[in-house]
Amino acid sequence: MSGIGGTASEGPTGLDIFSKYEPLRQRASVVSKLGIDPFNMTFDDIMGPTRGRIGNREIILAGTNNYLGLTYDEGAREAAKDAIDRHGTGTTGSRIANGSYTEHAKLEADLAEHLGKPSCIVFTTGYVTNLAAMSGLAGPKDVIFIDADAHACIIDGTRLATNKTTVRFRHNNPEDLDKRLSRQELDEGGHALVVIEGLYSMFGDIAPIAEFAEVCRRHGAYLYVDEAHSYGVFGEGGRGIAEEQGCLDQVDFYSGTFSKSLASVGGFCASNHPEFELLRKVMRPYMFTASAAPSNICAAQAALDAIKTRPELRQNIKARAAQLHAGLDEMGFDLCAPASPVIAARRPNEAQAAMEWNWLLKEGVYVNLAVPPGTPQSSSLLRISVSAAHTEADVNAILSKFRALKENGNAILADGMARLQAAE
Amino acid sequence: MPTDSEIFDKICELLRPYNVKNKPILRSSGIMSDLEVDSTAVFDLIMELEDHYDISVPMEVISDVKTVGELVAAIQELLAQ
Repeated sequence: MSGIGGTASEGPTGLDIFSKYEPLRQRASVVSKLGIDPFNMTFDDIMGPTRGRIGNREIILAGTNNYLGLTYDEGAREAAKDAIDRHGTGTTGSRIANGSYTEHAKLEADLAEHLGKPSCIVFTTGYVTNLAAMSGLAGPKDVIFIDADAHACIIDGTRLATNKTTVRFRHNNPEDLDKRLSRQELDEGGHALVVIEGLYSMFGDIAPIAEFAEVCRRHGAYLYVDEAHSYGVFGEGGRGIAEEQGCLDQVDFYSGTFSKSLASVGGFCASNHPEFELLRKVMRPYMFTASAAPSNICAAQAALDAIKTRPELRQNIKARAAQLHAGLDEMGFDLCAPASPVIAARRPNEAQAAMEWNWLLKEGVYVNLAVPPGTPQSSSLLRISVSAAHTEADVNAILSKFRALKENGNAILADGMARLQAAE
Repeated sequence: MPTDSEIFDKICELLRPYNVKNKPILRSSGIMSDLEVDSTAVFDLIMELEDHYDISVPMEVISDVKTVGELVAAIQELLAQ
């Protein structure tokens, strides 16, 4: 007998429906025996963009992707509160029904204007943005080319799209894309859509967008760039890596999220294409989910205004990223990329990385534990994201804990092994 | 056109660095389930096969492949096209 209401949980094959997750369960069980579960932890309080609390321990937040630190910005908070007072707590409807308010339209217009694109569409989350736009763009005859280190939402975008062929090319390698575009025959009426990211979220490395744009132009391929981790942070005006590399006008589709530098929840995609607005009538993740709450939209609008008017935020995050990167590099950590707001240190294996992650948290520093298959090259990483709200003293405090981590490496490993043995 | 056993040998050679527990590689071996190659590494392996045989292996084909033998058959089919 099977089913939740039954007395037994075995199906017709004699296996529980969760039996396929047994290897994952065993792996998660090892990590959870080491202390706090890194993938299911709760802060007792968050007091600001760089401070949280667990029990009576204050924690420096260094893994929140809160790049500009605007989640506690007075303008963003007031805009969100005012939106709740005027429009309530949620829209209860999708963008194609009752869920499009004046504020959604204004934010779309302002993002489009900021990026110098004629059109922009706002979505409920960043994840949904790529799912929606990619699946709306690629039809059965089209071929999607994705970078080997693509984020899960890009991979899932290819799964939702009706295209029959998706090809992966080597990470950040325009020559490899060139080769694969040459190799791939397109059906009559089919197009190539190349999807890359500006700043890659795990290693913190940057795409050569201008070179990719040149390859795309030569092959007549469309270029789609996800600047989730770089919008607001890079470029003189905060328009991301494409602005920094002087090729924003060559990006056909530009996506981003509100949940990083825009200090809210939501996402957007902007385009030069004159027919882009048609996608509103075909993108299922746009049409069949509730639109972003007014408070989220208005907080993002206020953060956008800050991106436009406060270049000092970008100057500060760059200075803090350089400080942290140089300090870790000097200590001999194996860092995955040159300095950027994402700084990842490779660790020898998942168990050691998890032990070190727990130790850092106990010492008052929250970073991200990143493990395969969510990481490139099957790496186990201690991943840090720097914020413009971090002070020089904050970064020094983070560095001192990493120094202590190095100095106490053997003791941390021995303690971790003892915990694992005690739990068995 | 390479033979079935040549493709199998090539896959075994390319699988070696990913087969960290050094398990025997059989045609019936599950690439992820038996050899414990994670999904990202499978895609890296596929790119090496693509370059070696100068073919394009769509991700949609890879998602249907579970065993080494199925991968040999998929490569053979793509080479024949």
